[in-house]
Amino acid sequence: MNEQRRQILQMLAEGKITADEAERLLTAVETVEEPDAAPARGKARPKYLRLIVDANDEHSGETKVNIRVPLKLLRAGMRLAVFVPPQALERANQELVKQGVPIDLTEIKPNQLEDLVDALDDLTLDVDQTDTKVRIYCE
Amino acid sequence: MMPQLVTARWRRRDGRRRRLFLPVVPIVLLLSPLLVFTVIGGIVACLMYGLPPLRTLAGVGRLFGALPGARFEFEQGRTAVFVSVR
Repeated sequence: MNEQRRQILQMLAEGKITADEAERLLTAVETVEEPDAAPARGKARPKYLRLIVDANDEHSGETKVNIRVPLKLLRAGMRLAVFVPPQALERANQELVKQGVPIDLTEIKPNQLEDLVDALDDLTLDVDQTDTKVRIYCE
Repeated sequence: MMPQLVTARWRRRDGRRRRLFLPVVPIVLLLSPLLVFTVIGGIVACLMYGLPPLRTLAGVGRLFGALPGARFEFEQGRTAVFVSVR
């Protein structure tokens, strides 16, 4: 645990700041820290998320989709999600419950989202049907 | 790094191809007066919703800076679209 985090937790323990303020400060500290500062692995870390769809439908003919999304873009988007107003999250929660998906979006923390994007490095998804092929992987 | 060039290519149903190169920096400079109003509008919206304007602006900037390398390619029948950000 670094010194800044320790100080924030200390202030929280002493009641100088609220839990919400502490969370914001911790998020700010994480933002300042370089995300790629993790110990170097043997292989190079993937930079892009790739989605390839190859479908052949009788109605619309052959369809090809090839999308490359930088993982940095995903991380930046996830960080921006922190700024979604709580009232918007509440509304989204209500709509999700209506659709039968009881997920509480307010419980999802920025750290968890970061971990999710980091875990994408090892993701490979292959769907192979007779007329459709979908491949999602990191490169 | 800020995006430098956006390339868009598309092929219409009749088989005609079109290409469009958008140099981002000159376009941003050209639209800078409008951008000032956009930023002011964004700050007002942030204050209305109780968000920290500077951090939100930094987040949007980071999102914009992470765009290079993004690529989108779609092809169906005789129609095709390709967009790339460098």
